[in-house]
Amino acid sequence: MRRHWLMHILLPAEMAARELVRRGTALGLLTVLPLAFYFSSRSNSSYAPVLGGIAMAFSVSGASIFCALTSRRLDSRLVLAGYRPRELLLGRLLLLEALGFMVALVFAGVIELGSNPASPLELIGGVFLVTACAVPFGLAVGALVPNELESVLILIGVVGVELTLQTSNIVDRFMPWWGAQRLLEQAGDGRGDTVVPILICVAYAVGLFGLAVLAVNRRYATVR
Amino acid sequence: MATSARTETTPQHVGRPVLQAVGICHRYGDRVILQDVSLVVEPGERVALTGENGAGKSTLMSICARLLTPDAGTLRIEGRVGYCPQIPGLHELLTADEHLALFSPALGLTRDEGVRRGRQLLSEFGFPVGERSQVRHLSGGSQQKLNLALALLGGARLLLLDEPYQGFDHGSYMNFWDHVARWSEQGIAVVVVTHMLQDLDLVDRVVELGARA
Repeated sequence: MRRHWLMHILLPAEMAARELVRRGTALGLLTVLPLAFYFSSRSNSSYAPVLGGIAMAFSVSGASIFCALTSRRLDSRLVLAGYRPRELLLGRLLLLEALGFMVALVFAGVIELGSNPASPLELIGGVFLVTACAVPFGLAVGALVPNELESVLILIGVVGVELTLQTSNIVDRFMPWWGAQRLLEQAGDGRGDTVVPILICVAYAVGLFGLAVLAVNRRYATVR
Repeated sequence: MATSARTETTPQHVGRPVLQAVGICHRYGDRVILQDVSLVVEPGERVALTGENGAGKSTLMSICARLLTPDAGTLRIEGRVGYCPQIPGLHELLTADEHLALFSPALGLTRDEGVRRGRQLLSEFGFPVGERSQVRHLSGGSQQKLNLALALLGGARLLLLDEPYQGFDHGSYMNFWDHVARWSEQGIAVVVVTHMLQDLDLVDRVVELGARA
């Protein structure tokens, strides 16, 4: 029974992984985009890791949105066959988080070598939090918004606003990557609270995934 | 109409239709697509669903597959439904075997069992089994054969096939209708959306949806 339940999560994850691996260019861009943001802003050394982190939010969320939208048509048949919508979603979450963490690891290594931050732990925590929140954000947008264009515009809007807001601005605290951004900023001088940013970011990730589950459950309510 | 031979193969369905869609209404925005449409299908029955473009054939099939909630009406289905949509929506970068594997656990099959059964179905339709091509490299007809095999994989009691032979060559098309007759003998009800008049002799009943108001 347990194996059966696991297969319902692992097989969709495996197939999503096979698809992603066959998109070599997309995988390359997923890694190159944050690095390009980071290197282009390295002269402003204190802010470069934050910009790179935000670019990582762009690329990982973009991949998640794409994964959610391209699967939608077949998902309805998979649910009709017997999958639960949350199983399909959970499989993709696991796969994309694993992929995102690999990108985060590469990115953290490059920043560590390039910027030599005072607190490497906060740097690693920051980039991992970016990914932790980016995947559920992409899955939620992909589940709630009907088309690719609208989804991508929402992604650009949210990440763009987050990028332009000053951290002192109260609105910034309500943005998905505020916690991750704080950690990346604090990595430079090693000062500041870490618990609250982590908690807020994790809460955001859990909330966004819950929203995605609600959206797909609602879509397939008649099938189930 | 269902014959006595068919009812013998499905004794649990004697007198019980596999599909009862009654008083179905559906609209997209202001456009009324279906107005008080009813469709009742018996075990083993072969039904052709016809109608002009925009008459709501595909919408009715989606509703019967429970993928779309009607604005009004009731739907009752007995057993598993196999649904073959007009647009396959397959994953372009996956192979046929990977699609079969993906569907298997949901249908209560092991991965190997699902792939084996699926390959058997595909070979019956003349699909190049064993070819490791991704779906994007398959012809339209081959993609449609995979689409059909996925609908059949779980041993459905009711097959909803929305123009399932698009892209089929003549041999595959004739082969498809031979299979429909065989499924019918096994007690499987088949509803086929079609525009082709020659198909109408191959079914037990034709249901024509009226043109949109």
